[in-house]
Amino acid sequence: MSLQTDKRDFSERTLDGLGDSFMRNAVGSAQDSLKTRRLSAATTLGDWEQWRNVGQLIRQHTLQNLDYYLEQLADNVEKQGGHVYFAATKEEASSYIRDVVVRKQATKVVKSKSMVTEEIELNRVLIEAGCELIETDLGEYILQMDDWDPPSHIVAPALHKDRRQIQRVFSEKLGYTGDETPENLAGFARTVLRQKFLEAEVGITGCNFAIANLGAINLVTNEGNGDLTAAIPKTHIAVMGMERIVPTLEEMEVLDNLLCRSAVGQKLTSYITVMGPSAAGETDGPEEFHLVVVDNGRSDILGSEFNEALQCIRCGACLNVCPIYRHIGGHAYGSIYPGPIGAVITPLLGGYDDYKELPFASSLCGACTDVCPVKIPLHEQLIMHRQNIVQQRRTGAGDRLQMKAASRLLSSPALFGRSLRFAHSASRLMSKRGRIVRGPALIHGWIHARDLKQPVKQQDSFRAWMEKRKGGAEQ
Amino acid sequence: MTVSSNKEAFLNTIASKLGRERKTHVQRPVIQDLIPDSYGQLTNDDLVEILKEQCFFIHTQVIESNPEILQRTLDDLIEANGGGIVMTSGDSRFEGYGLAFPEAFVWEEAAGREANIKRAESANTAIIFADCALAESGTVVVESRPDQGRSLHFLPAHYIAVIERQRLVLRSTQAAAAFNRRIQAGEPVGSSINFISGPSNSADIEMKLVVGVHGPLRATYVLI
Repeated sequence: MSLQTDKRDFSERTLDGLGDSFMRNAVGSAQDSLKTRRLSAATTLGDWEQWRNVGQLIRQHTLQNLDYYLEQLADNVEKQGGHVYFAATKEEASSYIRDVVVRKQATKVVKSKSMVTEEIELNRVLIEAGCELIETDLGEYILQMDDWDPPSHIVAPALHKDRRQIQRVFSEKLGYTGDETPENLAGFARTVLRQKFLEAEVGITGCNFAIANLGAINLVTNEGNGDLTAAIPKTHIAVMGMERIVPTLEEMEVLDNLLCRSAVGQKLTSYITVMGPSAAGETDGPEEFHLVVVDNGRSDILGSEFNEALQCIRCGACLNVCPIYRHIGGHAYGSIYPGPIGAVITPLLGGYDDYKELPFASSLCGACTDVCPVKIPLHEQLIMHRQNIVQQRRTGAGDRLQMKAASRLLSSPALFGRSLRFAHSASRLMSKRGRIVRGPALIHGWIHARDLKQPVKQQDSFRAWMEKRKGGAEQ
Repeated sequence: MTVSSNKEAFLNTIASKLGRERKTHVQRPVIQDLIPDSYGQLTNDDLVEILKEQCFFIHTQVIESNPEILQRTLDDLIEANGGGIVMTSGDSRFEGYGLAFPEAFVWEEAAGREANIKRAESANTAIIFADCALAESGTVVVESRPDQGRSLHFLPAHYIAVIERQRLVLRSTQAAAAFNRRIQAGEPVGSSINFISGPSNSADIEMKLVVGVHGPLRATYVLI
């Protein structure tokens, strides 16, 4: 899988999402539950706003001094016998990892959940190199077994699947014969995956944060698969987006608290681990440790008007409050990064050619900005994207014409007032029982997913009512 | 292109995008003074109460014991877990408290990688001593060492952590600061530092919480 998960038109993808009632219910209920839990976990920290300020300060300081901290990190990893590779592109990153795997003559690779490895298409590269590659996060494993179905949420990738679908997948692909209870499905996966950990020669993980002064990485998980991936195979390859770094454990601690509470409403997740190359005398953990630092377009964001997007700690809190994500689901974004943060960073990493619609998939309500634990002004960044897209004339000619007409109409009170007089009669043929049910262009787009009331008759309009009131007051 | 030249080019690109030369010195902002304190002064007894309350939410049993009856407490827990093989770390505190288990392996450097992992995988219960514990999140903190491997905490089906009361601190803030002081002083720390808060779990299937996915199925803390 790459950054792009679906090449169809955005409108087709959203129609799919809107028509999937199970997914919409699942997303709605997950959002409600995660929102409540996040609030409760944030409250126990006391002054949450101050915590957010500290989180923002740490992220901005690190980004402003990124070259310094990355160099410090690399020096410290190498002092402990580890290897650091700086990959400017996704091709460089995945081919370096493939070369390590080939050199180790490894055929069995276990992986823990990592978005950046999706970005660099690592799975495809390693499978083409002849490896048996297993995703070990339960959600990711389910998706892999279902022919690499794309993830739909940053934290809960298989959110769009119900237990019956999972039972069917396990049964068809793995010979599972049990029932559809989550306990039994998870227990079955545990048995299968336990063996995979023990057999694997190479383990690949992502990295929540690298710790510069320690030369180590930090993994935040609930299942423990990340720890087993790093502890049992003799070679561990960790892959990090270049911005995912903190100066010391003290900054990591603040960000982990913000991350766990914002993502899943836990004070800390079950396993938070700081790890690097094994030390002398330790008998498990990696004998060979590689850290791959990936740019893949991030340096173009650095120092730009979208610099703050790099503060993201991938908690997914913005997804959990987003009304658009709630209705269209994660797949509609066509990116491994869905939701508001996906709509900001996907066009930055993948370009406007493929993703110019995403910044428009927002109500601009600002809920995402309000919850972001590191204070990324998400809705403002979406507006900046829209401005760029319009200025670069990437919107369709029809859209531009409609916007020009709307601009003319809405900027002239007199013209707007006159057109309202005819709105009711003009919309009669398009309406049914007080609602517009068909129409061209913008109207057509709007009524796909939302109700649009037929304009009232002139004599019932607010303007007419106001005129009467004014008249009454004067008398 | 060699790896090191790759690094230089990579870091030079970053500096250039930030519109400046490469940095050779950076002053970290002091964040400790900015972190809000919502708890105030707490006694060790307060910390115990906070720990017990939090453990209820993370599906972890807390047993209060003392050094005199610790062996019996652990024996009872092993039996409650269904008996079987026990694997402990080689922590000197096992000897200090006079603990011994009949069917037991000890994680030891001399056994080597394969044997230690195989033993941990075959063990029904792991028992370790916490290096410190965090009351607020119900977390035990453990470092990897030659006598305490990483996978010891994950492979056995049941996990028992013995926590000495004096090693309780409020939260991860204190633990991280203590580790960082050691790192800055050049003291060695384990190649893996684990913050473990209860058994493994997942909500990947319909957001329903399932306890025990990859790591331990059950976690118990014994306070002494």
